[in-house]
Amino acid sequence: MATRIIEWIDQRFPLTSFIKHELTDYPTPRNLGYWWNFGFLAGFVLMLQVVTGLFLAFHYKPDAAIAFDSVQHLMRDVNYGWLLRYMHATGASSFFLVIYIHMARTLYYGSYRAPRELMWWTGQVLLLLLMATAFMGYLLPWGQMSFWGATVITNLFRATPFIGDQVVVWLRGDYAVGDDTLTRFFALHYLFPFLIIGAVVIHLVALHSVKSSNPSGIDLADKDNIPLHPYYTSKDFFGLGVFLILYFIVVFFFPHSVLEPANNVPANPLITPDHIVPEWYFLPFYAILRSVPNMVGGVAAMALSVMIFAFMPFLDRSRIPGGGRYRPVYRIMFFLFMLDIAVLGYVGFVPPTNKTIAIGQVATVYYFGSFLLLPLISKVEDKWLFKRGLPAKIKTLIASEEEEKRKRRHR
Amino acid sequence: MNRLFASLLLCGFIIIQAFAAEEKLEDFQVDTSVIAMDRGVDAFMNSCHGCHSLKYVHYRDLASFGIDKERIASWRGDSTLDSAMTSLLSDEAALASFGKVPPDLSMIVRAREGGASYVYSYLTGYYITPDGKTSNHFFPLTRMPDALEISTATDPVKRVEIIEQAHDIVSFLSWAADPHEAERKSLGYYVIGYLIILTVLLYNVKLQVWSRLKS
Repeated sequence: MATRIIEWIDQRFPLTSFIKHELTDYPTPRNLGYWWNFGFLAGFVLMLQVVTGLFLAFHYKPDAAIAFDSVQHLMRDVNYGWLLRYMHATGASSFFLVIYIHMARTLYYGSYRAPRELMWWTGQVLLLLLMATAFMGYLLPWGQMSFWGATVITNLFRATPFIGDQVVVWLRGDYAVGDDTLTRFFALHYLFPFLIIGAVVIHLVALHSVKSSNPSGIDLADKDNIPLHPYYTSKDFFGLGVFLILYFIVVFFFPHSVLEPANNVPANPLITPDHIVPEWYFLPFYAILRSVPNMVGGVAAMALSVMIFAFMPFLDRSRIPGGGRYRPVYRIMFFLFMLDIAVLGYVGFVPPTNKTIAIGQVATVYYFGSFLLLPLISKVEDKWLFKRGLPAKIKTLIASEEEEKRKRRHR
Repeated sequence: MNRLFASLLLCGFIIIQAFAAEEKLEDFQVDTSVIAMDRGVDAFMNSCHGCHSLKYVHYRDLASFGIDKERIASWRGDSTLDSAMTSLLSDEAALASFGKVPPDLSMIVRAREGGASYVYSYLTGYYITPDGKTSNHFFPLTRMPDALEISTATDPVKRVEIIEQAHDIVSFLSWAADPHEAERKSLGYYVIGYLIILTVLLYNVKLQVWSRLKS
């Protein structure tokens, strides 16, 4: 009976061939480490946010007069409303953590390099959509930090050339952040996840066309690939278990670590909080914004600091495959860049003093420097490595990649 | 990638240092027992409720926590069991007397850096300045009078009594700000326990599946 149903479907829809092509026969490099789990985790967290968000929307009221009250109603009177909200808030932070690790892995192993540029760029679009969604969602509880965070960030759009003031009013729906802003942010916060899902589909189609990268940085021969299912599905589910343990420890025991105390005070346009800080995932970019003394320059620097990742495929000029594994200079640059981001995060977190501003400026220059000098450094590193004589292992890798390319051309 | 962890740890350490530099708060342990809650509500109704509301807490919530209905009846007066614990003081009258509307205290423990420790330190932080004025160590600009009268209490027994009262009030306010905390934590142990077992099983599945591969 079951076979007959599947046959019936297969005549009308490519079910069996899809499962075969994308899961049970889909070739995946056998040498992937646990750093390759984070794409799957990001997809899982996306679903988690969509589902918890749907149930939160059952109870939330996007009206400035009652938004804060409706969240309190949810937290106190709705059955397990507190669980939904803590899961959604912790989920937002986890989403960024997972995405940042996913990006760090791509940078470390050079996975953005040909032929995976489109994956990197759709990923860049996903990052922007995620940031926009998180920013708009943060307004919804209508606390002090929601209100003032939205005020500060929408105000940055004044830097738009010629039509800055109009753009700000257009975004807010009013001259100041208010009821209109809240209602439209709610509508957009509900819309954006669908755009994210669309971009994820493109990201996955691109992935299944170029296949996963791997730590060696070359495309492996067929004998070194294993099917996604059951090998990587079992590995992904184990990783998911570890993720869920950490996630639920925060949800059940430290949920307030992701909720700013000032956001438990209802929004008040007349009282500015002492110290407006964005959520942790925006801190490095916020530090870059504050490091430039001029507002337009600061906004441009901040926008560029996010978008500059897209240029990586052009900036990396090395002929040696992959990223940090066989390239000592690139590896050092990667870790220094991570350290630089940590420093920027700290600078964005503390109230600005002369000292932290100076540290922030140095870190900002270093941030852009590590991108802009990469073409030169990767070329010099490449020359130095070739001159010193490549280790036999890399020679074998490069030769096997040439061999693979030749074979593929003949097919 | 060990160096990545090292730099993350370093970052965390810097942030902890930044927190540690702030003013020292009295360390506060919330007492979640019904008896402490009962004393806390009573002290709150006597010393705070004259001016401060708890608009997100209803009298019925006290009953569902396990507090005696007759005790609740003595506190709520003419208000119904379903009504919120709002104060009778009007905003106009408050503005006239204090120059400020007293904040609603439903979320106060969650709305301050330092949480319960801050509120407790603040309540017991009143003192008399050398020029005879009342001030507060943790919030010098406060408009609230020393409701528990700790600044003028010199008798050690009386001081201990006031400190215990402050302790009960803050325990009650901690519950008011996060009424599902106890339920959340007890559920948390089950969920984490379940996930640990599940993850161990998933790890074994993974090992078994991968053992089919010949190296």
